[in-house]
Amino acid sequence: MTLLNPNIPESVRAVAADGTQLRYALMEMAGQMDDIITLGRGDPDLPTPPHIVEAANRAMREGRTGLTPVQGLPQLRGAIAEHMRACNGLPVAAENVMVTTGGQEGLFLAIQALIDPGDEILVPDPRYTSYDDAIRRAGGEMVMVPTDREDAFNLEAEAVEGAITPASKALLIVTPSNPTAGIVTEDRLRAIADVCIRHNLIVIVDEIYGRIVYEPWRHFSIGSLPGMAQRTITLDAFSKAYAMTGWRCGYAAAPENVIDAMARVKAVTTGPVATVSQWAGLAAITGPQDCVGDYLKIYTERRAVLLDGLDRMGFAYGEPRGGLFVWADSSSTGIHAAELSYLLLKEGRVLIFPGTAFGENWREYVRITMLEPIETLKEAVERMLPVLERYRV
Amino acid sequence: MKPPQTLSRPLAGRVAGDQPHPPAPSPMLQGGGAQLPPNVIEAAVAALERGETHYTDRPGIPEFRAWVADHLAERFGLRIDPTEVTITCGSTEARFVTMTLLAEAGSAVLCPGDSSRIRGALHILGAEIVDSVQDDVSLLYLSPDVYRETSIELLQRAEDTDWWIVYDLSFAKTAPRFHPAQNEKLASRVVTIDSLSADLAGWRLGWMAGSAAALRLRAGKQAITICTTAVSQWAGLEFLRSRKS
Repeated sequence: MTLLNPNIPESVRAVAADGTQLRYALMEMAGQMDDIITLGRGDPDLPTPPHIVEAANRAMREGRTGLTPVQGLPQLRGAIAEHMRACNGLPVAAENVMVTTGGQEGLFLAIQALIDPGDEILVPDPRYTSYDDAIRRAGGEMVMVPTDREDAFNLEAEAVEGAITPASKALLIVTPSNPTAGIVTEDRLRAIADVCIRHNLIVIVDEIYGRIVYEPWRHFSIGSLPGMAQRTITLDAFSKAYAMTGWRCGYAAAPENVIDAMARVKAVTTGPVATVSQWAGLAAITGPQDCVGDYLKIYTERRAVLLDGLDRMGFAYGEPRGGLFVWADSSSTGIHAAELSYLLLKEGRVLIFPGTAFGENWREYVRITMLEPIETLKEAVERMLPVLERYRV
Repeated sequence: MKPPQTLSRPLAGRVAGDQPHPPAPSPMLQGGGAQLPPNVIEAAVAALERGETHYTDRPGIPEFRAWVADHLAERFGLRIDPTEVTITCGSTEARFVTMTLLAEAGSAVLCPGDSSRIRGALHILGAEIVDSVQDDVSLLYLSPDVYRETSIELLQRAEDTDWWIVYDLSFAKTAPRFHPAQNEKLASRVVTIDSLSADLAGWRLGWMAGSAAALRLRAGKQAITICTTAVSQWAGLEFLRSRKS
């Protein structure tokens, strides 16, 4: 890898070792530039479906905006439990569910409830580095579990087992994965469940992209397997499937004593979720579900366009089976991913994220979202191609 | 399969066993919405109708941050840049972030007044609350309700230390013009917390402002909740603007 351009701004260099801050530095830089196509942040460009907005409007106009219990509106907890039983096969009741301020807080609360200083938590590599802070604050140690492109970033039970030490307490699974767009398939999850039961590991599984899975693949919840309900904390949110990132409304399902502990932490961390967001979440989960399928169809079409563009750019990739990203191998350019992202932003006016924002070892990868209309994605490809030709080693 | 009741492994020490627990969840409180002026509700509806349903800027919408900076200038004569303001999910999140990032684990937090609102966060951090000066203090927590003479004495003491100072205006029963950051020797170490919890409790709106640690605090908030609920911010901004006018 050759670092062609030594003039990356200090604002980016200073945070290059911190994946989360690196992403924000690039976003802030993009925010100060004109005419940028943003294929960085995982924020769906599609609107929150009208029936959800209407439900929120009704709640506000009727004055249903007072503080709720910290675990969430009882109606919403019940509806989430019903949804998770019916769609995910999880054996949960309302008492096993709490509402969180987005999926990210769910992870924070789960880690606080579970991890003691010195505990190890197994994390597939690459990873969504925003979770690092929660683990670090609890005094936990991350142990990386490798995944690779040839396997479409699926997770292997053997790799999990190989990373276990006496200090291992939990395994974090994100399926579909951010950033790789891989999914952990049912057969692999069954094998991983066996490993977790044998080694008495807890599974924290983030399924926020679980309803954005491309044919012929299927999402599967590890918490539905025999022997797993009492060792699984399942996290989800309305943010991605219903394009509701700004509402900050997610949820967690777990054994009752975990929900109790998470609620006690939440009471002093952020308090209850904004009430209007909970009414919106209730409308999302109990209302018509056509919107989820409609949005998936849109993402499927965009994915095809983006993959075609990556082929033209000479980027390899594992099959993106779910989620809103493509995790592409940019090694054919010979340019460090951080450098490449900077050049594409500065000269191509396209914001993408370098692989190093998702793990130290991923300097030959980039993450590109499909969260722009098809014509914009095509334009982004046309902007990126000449930059790549100019700098390709 | 029956719904699971107990995790197959023990919980973390900070939430399990015979360790003191953070406060119990709040009971349901009614109201807080019915009494809101119609213009606030309509501002929230309008925000949703124009598509304010996505992540906002991580520290909050620029208009809200500017309002906070202007308010602190007007009320206390403070010079705080809007980039040093972060909108939070209620003052609870502001307190949690400031306590757990600025106080040190194993140290003492000096709190001469009501400590009930910081007890849970400091339990999680592993810091002790004390009501008199001792060697291992890392943070001074004050509110306007602490006797002014006591505050002044402690702030004078703070000049010779490296204590962080958190001044919590939320839930204060008094509204003096006094503010610790008016002391220029201390200003870079003072974080101001406030909220709309009294008027818009269910909307979850607070903020933390100022200090040399402002960017670190912003990142700390982002790591927990990314940003504060978009529609709440627009409702809160309208509430504050209309209250002022």
